Amino acid sequence: MSCSQEKIKLMHQYLDGGLEKQEEDKLRAHLEECEACQQHFHELKRTITLVQSAGQYKAPDHFTGEVMKKLPAEKKRVKYSR
Amino acid sequence: MEWKIKEKVKQVKRGDQSAFEEIVSFYQHKIFQHCYRMLGNRYEAEDIGQETFIRAYVNIHSFDDKRKFSTWLYRIATNLTIDRIRKRKPDYYLDAEIKGTDGLNMYSQMAADDRLPEEEVQGMELKDYITQEIYGLPPKYRSVIILRYLEEFSLQEISDVLDLPLGTVKTRIHRGREALRKKLRHV
Repeated sequence: MSCSQEKIKLMHQYLDGGLEKQEEDKLRAHLEECEACQQHFHELKRTITLVQSAGQYKAPDHFTGEVMKKLPAEKKRVKYSR
Repeated sequence: MEWKIKEKVKQVKRGDQSAFEEIVSFYQHKIFQHCYRMLGNRYEAEDIGQETFIRAYVNIHSFDDKRKFSTWLYRIATNLTIDRIRKRKPDYYLDAEIKGTDGLNMYSQMAADDRLPEEEVQGMELKDYITQEIYGLPPKYRSVIILRYLEEFSLQEISDVLDLPLGTVKTRIHRGREALRKKLRHV
């Protein structure tokens, strides 16, 4: 198990890019001496990498055509009102 | 690209429907994919994806040109997917309202129960397996994780898309990451 919620919170702030230099140093120092937190941090970073490798999916070929067919009819008067 | 889209939006606002086709064509894969990841089902993703563009077209005059069009479009798509999830039968989804921090234990436990049988996982490509695990998150965490890591929105943009305070977005990303960490650590 990891140390404390406080340390885990710091890890998440770090991952969101919101840590002050001083707090970052504090986190780094802690990670160097605490194996459980180091593991936790490693798992979080790896999770992000894994999530970013999730499958890519493409819309079916007819997608745009179907949308265009379903749009309400163009308001003809708009053209003349200019 | 954003300026070109803005140009197209102006044309649509003037009543030029064909300009909208280029907008749909440009964003179709992104929006379909977002809906697919939110809904976990191609049929529904197509349905809601198309509905997103139809709503965008019908409401184009309410789009403020000073804002980012993609943010607005994702907002429509996300709201529609959440509505669709809410309308499903209660036993269909896992988002039993989780309050406070107890939630983390609750859904991480669900995640463990939801895990696919070993043999099924082996036959599945890792990337599809990950998609599945993201889909296993409750919708409010699922949406922020998708927007942050798969659509690469900034925290501020996510806050705009979901109309949530920045702090709430951060908390949800934090919890979503923890839940996924537990699901994916054995991969």
